Amino acid sequence: MSSQKKRNFQMEAFKHRVVVDPKYAEKTWKILEHAIHEIYNHNASGLSFEELYRNAYNMVLHKFGEKLYSGLVSTMTVHLKEIAASVEASQGPLFLEELNRKWMENNKALQMIRDILMYMDRTYIPSTHKTPVHKLGLNLWRDNIIHTINIQTRLKDTLLEIVQKERDGEVINRGLMRNIVKMLMDLGPSVYQQDFEQPFLDVSAKFYRGESQQFIECCDCGEYLKKAEKRLNEEIDRVAHYLDVKSEEKITNVVEKEMIESQMNRLVHMENSGLVNMIVDDKYDDLGRIYNLFRRVPNGLTLIRVVMTSHIRETGKQLVIDPERVKDPAEFVQRLLEERDKHDKIINLAFNNDKAFQNALNSSFEYFINLNPRSIEFISLFVDDKLRKGLKGVTEEDVEVALDKVMMLFRYLQEKDVFEKYYKQHLAKRLLSGKSISEDAERSLILKLKTECGYQFTSKLEGMFTDMKTSQDTMQGFYESMGPMLADGPTLAVHVLTTGSWPTQSTTTCNLPPEILTVCDKFKTYYLGTHNGRRLTWQTNMGSADIKATFSRSQKHELNVSTYQMCVLMLFNNADQLSYKEIEQAVEIPAAELKRCLQSLACAKGKNVLRKEPMSKDVSEDDEFFFNENFSSKFYKVKIGTVVAQKESEPEKQETRQRVEEDRKPQIEAAIVRIMKARRVLDHNNIVAEVTKQLQSRFLPNPVVIKKRVESLIEREFLERDRDDRKLYRYLA
Amino acid sequence: MAIQKDRVRFNVGGKIFETTGTTLAIAGRESYFAAMFDENWDLQMNPAGEYFIDRNPDCFSILLDLLRTGELYIPPNVPEKQLYREALFYGLTDHVRSAKWGQFDGNRLQPLKSITGRAPGDGTAIRASPDGGCCVAHGSMVHIYDWMLEEHPPVNLDYQRVNDAGWVGSGDPTGLVISTCERVGRGQGGMGLFNSTTGELRYKFSVTHKGVVKSYTAGALCFNDGYNLFSSCKGRSNEYGIGVWDQNTGQQVDFFYEPPGWSLGDADKLQWLNGSNCLLVATLFPRKDNCYISLLDFRSKSTVWSWSDMWSPANSDDRRVRDAIAMEENNSICVVNEFEDLGFMDLRRESGSVRWSSRSRLMKGKMPDEPCYPKLALHEGQLFSSMNDCISVFCGSDWVLTSRLRRNFGGSICDFSIGGDRLFALHSEENVFDIWETPPSSIV
Repeated sequence: MSSQKKRNFQMEAFKHRVVVDPKYAEKTWKILEHAIHEIYNHNASGLSFEELYRNAYNMVLHKFGEKLYSGLVSTMTVHLKEIAASVEASQGPLFLEELNRKWMENNKALQMIRDILMYMDRTYIPSTHKTPVHKLGLNLWRDNIIHTINIQTRLKDTLLEIVQKERDGEVINRGLMRNIVKMLMDLGPSVYQQDFEQPFLDVSAKFYRGESQQFIECCDCGEYLKKAEKRLNEEIDRVAHYLDVKSEEKITNVVEKEMIESQMNRLVHMENSGLVNMIVDDKYDDLGRIYNLFRRVPNGLTLIRVVMTSHIRETGKQLVIDPERVKDPAEFVQRLLEERDKHDKIINLAFNNDKAFQNALNSSFEYFINLNPRSIEFISLFVDDKLRKGLKGVTEEDVEVALDKVMMLFRYLQEKDVFEKYYKQHLAKRLLSGKSISEDAERSLILKLKTECGYQFTSKLEGMFTDMKTSQDTMQGFYESMGPMLADGPTLAVHVLTTGSWPTQSTTTCNLPPEILTVCDKFKTYYLGTHNGRRLTWQTNMGSADIKATFSRSQKHELNVSTYQMCVLMLFNNADQLSYKEIEQAVEIPAAELKRCLQSLACAKGKNVLRKEPMSKDVSEDDEFFFNENFSSKFYKVKIGTVVAQKESEPEKQETRQRVEEDRKPQIEAAIVRIMKARRVLDHNNIVAEVTKQLQSRFLPNPVVIKKRVESLIEREFLERDRDDRKLYRYLA
Repeated sequence: MAIQKDRVRFNVGGKIFETTGTTLAIAGRESYFAAMFDENWDLQMNPAGEYFIDRNPDCFSILLDLLRTGELYIPPNVPEKQLYREALFYGLTDHVRSAKWGQFDGNRLQPLKSITGRAPGDGTAIRASPDGGCCVAHGSMVHIYDWMLEEHPPVNLDYQRVNDAGWVGSGDPTGLVISTCERVGRGQGGMGLFNSTTGELRYKFSVTHKGVVKSYTAGALCFNDGYNLFSSCKGRSNEYGIGVWDQNTGQQVDFFYEPPGWSLGDADKLQWLNGSNCLLVATLFPRKDNCYISLLDFRSKSTVWSWSDMWSPANSDDRRVRDAIAMEENNSICVVNEFEDLGFMDLRRESGSVRWSSRSRLMKGKMPDEPCYPKLALHEGQLFSSMNDCISVFCGSDWVLTSRLRRNFGGSICDFSIGGDRLFALHSEENVFDIWETPPSSIV
């Protein structure tokens, strides 16, 4: 403080420094004002930055900040008004270019003004809460140029017009558009949104609404989608080139809404070109397009999925109930696999492997495969077919692939335990007749079943393999120890089958020829001698034999026949003619079986080692049979098959069904007890739900059956009904 | 463009300096050098190939050295104030400030200096500003110091007693709120928001009760991140409680009326808890005979936690609580008694008892003649407690005493405040305040 002030008693405690020249502020401001003019007039080369900065600094330092700031505002406003006039005066297409040019110049000028006024920006402006120089410049530009009546609408219309031109295929100046849009964004997000984005979206919506109407009338579905996709990509491209990134979502929403969502149903169901046609014709490109476009709109994919599901269900249903198809099991399953492959490929190639679509596919297959109860048997037969012959000359990988595919179908089955029954029968036949091609393939399939359904499911199947193996060892041991005593009697091969593991057959005995019987008895003695406490029963209905026969002209053949057939043929060693009655008496084979076996020996062309009188297709009880010494064949080995239905006959089917139902009972009971043991008390509906859940992987238990099982358990005092609430069951330990 | 040649020669007040464009680039976009080398300027060198700047060469040399090395070395012959002025001219104040002192650490604090004020002592409060300055409230004046410890025009409140002051914060670095006593009969008092550089009043915060503007006495202040300002208020009749205002508009947005049998309007201390969206309100001895601590939830207008020594036995430690602070991370409230014993209460239990840590019992019996009541502060996991002429620093989950700050003159510390990486301590007897700061971490 100067010493003069001490004499002054007036209380002016915080008086500013005395400025020597009272005109100082005015003079300094004139210099700066002149500089601002020069900057706007592109005449800055003669200006000294150092001097101007120092002058501005001094003005702020000497408390003339307010003068400096207000002077700046008015000087800039004057120049901006001039610029506005020049922009307004520009003609037609030059309007945007003029605006852009002025904007660039203004930016440069603003930067220079900011440079010299930096000290004010740093000190005076924050303490007075004023707008910083750069922001001030932008605000003034907005108010004096962009938001003037003559420019605002013209600018908006010009921009929209150019966008429309580009949509119509004209080439536009994208660089200029980018600069102008960037200017709007620089002026603040609200300026961009109000002056351009919102009108742009409105106009676009109107445009695409019209265009989609036009397209839907004259294009098919695929074509329409191509056009929609093109429009969508154009808009994304537009945003990338000259709009704000944030606009992308908004404009694509408009296109999606107007071009896809509004026409969605019509497109999918379009006659001759809709979704179903695409699926039928495997149009992966079109399907991919429809997926990618519909994915963008709410419920788009759901619609596709619903239509696809109903299509698969419908075609699948026709497939499985078509009586023509049911004739050939292998063909039937092959068609299912093809159907699945087809849709799998569509989902893979066109639907981006979408999980929801895969689930829809699976549930559709599950739905229609189970419509036909014979599907189960057919699938097992298909596997049987593959493992018998189908895999010849096929690499191991291909076997795996084929089996994997079958497993897919297996997964769709609801009654997996029925499949187990069939599979067991078919496997037994394969093993006993030595028809199985590859043990590796067999084992691999069983492993797959095991991973799918658990140990329990396959334990018996595995037991069958073990039996086969032990039988081999047993036979080896038998011949080693008994070999010499057997002399040149017939060679015997016995499969010792564990009861329970194999499909049980009612034991039908027959009278074996004495030669065979001797060997069999020796084996029995040997086996029971090595294994204590076992019982052997001969399953003659499952055996086979190779016998050598000599016909006239010393024609020798080896005949491959079933055990029954062997018994019959052996009778003709001692006689040339036998009546049906005599044969029946001698062999004691059940009549149905005997007839079948005689039929195959006497009636099959090329295999008729017997002759029958009278000659007819069927065997009756009055027939006479003769040794056909004129039998001849090109082959030395002749296989005489039994006439067997490969598919199950109706009564067999019933029987299988009944056996399955029987087997289910203990499983359901076990599940109930397991659940009740854990829960102690549970009501009926919950028991049904939980049992169903537990057994789902094997079969779908019938609620009525569950109820019966519960009742049976109550009878046997595993459970009791609650005394107060009859719907509640209690577990009795 | 000169900057591309990289070598730059300056003539500063007649002295020649030579440096490189790279060094000058460190000054940043908001500096004189960035503006000067803006490509739009067609810079004129003098015939010797130098750029002339009409400034003090000694300070330029120090600042150039700062740009080159990142370290600030001020020779004894250069007044700091002069250097700061030059730094402001070149736009280098941020560089100077960050080179001058480091990030706050209670255990590494060094005394910077002590400043003697004009008033006769008995300071009410000292408040650190976010940028390293502070304000000191005495009687009816508030003295304001910026980060250079330069005194600004004081705020004179027309001789109303000042109760508390507080900085609005980072959104408005110059905003200072001052609460004062009501002056009987004039309907004045309450609170105002002032510009700390000019001392001008921007607006007053008023209390409205049933549509009528009331005069009131504003007590303790507190701010939250949502631009709300809280103050304890004492009116003539019903206007007892905690008022809430919007910092940006100055409008009253809420009022929490004092429940009967409790104290809010007289509160000594308010603390906003970010995690639980609650306000800690503590009324302490000797303002009232009893101590009341409560946590208020303004959304549900309820007291979610409370404690008072009304229910404690007459001679227990609980009766002597002098300050309280909430520690959200530990879910506890720390209190201090007149012997600087720390006590803790669990916020998760309603009305629990205080668990005292008996660290400083030796203080008992040798109290100074004119004691200052202890005060607490919490800063980034460090707890500070002032007692007599020293401040203790406690760290860790067990609040172990790790440092003590003490100056040898000025008498007892009546208030202290932490902010802008500095600690300010105000002494009661001689109206002196100390500034403590953490030295910048050494470069080598």
